[in-house]
Amino acid sequence: MPPIRDKFTIHSKAVVCQDVELKGDITIGAADSGSSEGTIVHPKATIFAIAGPIVIGAGCIIEEGAIIVNRRKEVMRIGDDNLFEIGCRVESPSIGNFNTISARARIHHTVRISSYCVIGAACLVVPAEDEILDEYTVIYGPAAERRTWSGRGKVQEADLRRKHADYLKEMLPKFNRLRRGDGT
Amino acid sequence: MSPVVSTSLGEPPFFLYCNHCRWDSAEVGITFEKPTGLAAQLQKFEDSAPESLEFERLKEHFEPFLRASSSSSALPTTSSHHHTNPITAAASSALARDIPGVSKYNPLSRSRVGRDKSGRHDIPEYKARVDISAAGGLGSGGGEANAEFLRHLETVEEVASLEQRWVGSWVSSLHTSDLKSMRIPLQSKKSKRCPSCRHILIKPEQKAQSVRYKIKLVAANYLPAISVSLPHVQAAMEMMKRSTALNKSTATTMTMDEQSVAAGALIAGKTYSFHLAFTNPLYDPIQVRLKKAQVMPTLGTDSDAEKARRPAFQVNLPSTAFPIAAFAEAWEYEDDDEDMFGLDDDEMGADGLGRHQRDGRGKMRTVGVLEKRANVTVVGGEVILTKEARGSVKFNMLVSYTYRSDDPEPAEAELGTPSRTHRQPEMKNFSFYTVVDLGRIAPREESRADSEI
Repeated sequence: MPPIRDKFTIHSKAVVCQDVELKGDITIGAADSGSSEGTIVHPKATIFAIAGPIVIGAGCIIEEGAIIVNRRKEVMRIGDDNLFEIGCRVESPSIGNFNTISARARIHHTVRISSYCVIGAACLVVPAEDEILDEYTVIYGPAAERRTWSGRGKVQEADLRRKHADYLKEMLPKFNRLRRGDGT
Repeated sequence: MSPVVSTSLGEPPFFLYCNHCRWDSAEVGITFEKPTGLAAQLQKFEDSAPESLEFERLKEHFEPFLRASSSSSALPTTSSHHHTNPITAAASSALARDIPGVSKYNPLSRSRVGRDKSGRHDIPEYKARVDISAAGGLGSGGGEANAEFLRHLETVEEVASLEQRWVGSWVSSLHTSDLKSMRIPLQSKKSKRCPSCRHILIKPEQKAQSVRYKIKLVAANYLPAISVSLPHVQAAMEMMKRSTALNKSTATTMTMDEQSVAAGALIAGKTYSFHLAFTNPLYDPIQVRLKKAQVMPTLGTDSDAEKARRPAFQVNLPSTAFPIAAFAEAWEYEDDDEDMFGLDDDEMGADGLGRHQRDGRGKMRTVGVLEKRANVTVVGGEVILTKEARGSVKFNMLVSYTYRSDDPEPAEAELGTPSRTHRQPEMKNFSFYTVVDLGRIAPREESRADSEI
């Protein structure tokens, strides 16, 4: 197993706290991505690019205790404006835009998430074989039942996400040290 | 499911939305024109529900007969109260109807049996609004339609579960996509009253959102307040203060708290006296009597049999009743005037204000009333610790007090309550249990080292 070489590329507008565990080849915040601004990574988040690199888009919010792990050689791509709530664990190789992964949810590496999905709190998305979640899928309840969102109210959700990110961008640097640029 | 309104756009149509699973009521066709007054907007959905329509039909069907029967059955035989509401009148006469095979309930007289039968002959057969045999196609509980649906199921989530369906009073469709949102019944907050005198004790706040209650009748305003003190602790603290004031240079490693704990710890095998100060909140003087409840063994790990046989300590309480003066303003106390101004500020406790029980040579008696001052009476008790005593010294005490209430009844409101008219001097008795905790017992070996400081 080759040693993990750390290479962090953090966009200038991204807010990444010092206390974040980063390992491997990680890119946070796309260069220019239109309406979304920088990604926000709370302290005590964990992003491990063990076997392959991780690329995270713009406008994402990764909260405390979230664990994003890539154990596969291929690139793990996370899109824009996703919310990874506290304590979630994500190993999915591909995630689209505007998803919400709620607290303590677990997503296996066999699932590929498209856009506008909502994984409810404490849900385990661990299918036995490879699967792609359709857009607008909502997984909820202790048995991880699924249903499809009609998409109504998504403008309000996007608005809320944006406001959330803006607020954090303003408040987090006041109380946490930030990690900037390339680390070793 | 809370109604979340799209306020950022603020445009109709509004609908109900669930944050957890992202269901919205537009999927079942419920939308609102404005975000307020949802009940009114839902009214037309509720009125067109199958159960309401059925009920309306039933009412129309039975109305002529109800009117006929309620007018024909004479007053002394029907139920004792007149119903003004035709629905309840219908209900009560329907309940009283003759049912074959069931014996009649005759609360009043037996002559009813024959009389009412004549009015019941000509009710035509009631036809339900929807014929049950044809109901299948409409999704309201028919057999064939449901079977077809089940045959073509793709996932089990398409079928509404029993818990989701049995809330309604009518048969509803099996499809999950047809489920409507449920109303949650209102909950009420109740105030609590005393069972005997009906005084309100606690009352909920007016705000619907808060769960708090306000205490309207505080027991502390009626019960004597008790505070416990150990005179040897206070004496030891005084000594400590004086000694540290004198020897400021010698740095002691212990903090003040530790020192006080060490000085005041109850050492096994010794006998200590304690003071109970009773404060009377009432405007009448009270007579208090104390009684020990069961002896409390405090041995931690011993078995129960041993606990019963070897109580760790023994408590002596004054057994006679002692009076406590009424609560009054400071200037109203006549008795202690000379004493208050005569004495200087001596050490607290022993030579303070008030009268004391003293034996011949001035030595303080330990068990009994020690001091009476304003509306506070201090009584002393004694606790004898055995050598094997451990744990904390706690005992149950029954406090009963009685007083003669001079207050006149509110009905005969008489001004000038201080006047001792003794119109209705009732003796009121109250009693309550309380736990007195005197502190922890320190075993003998430890304390000896500490007391040398």
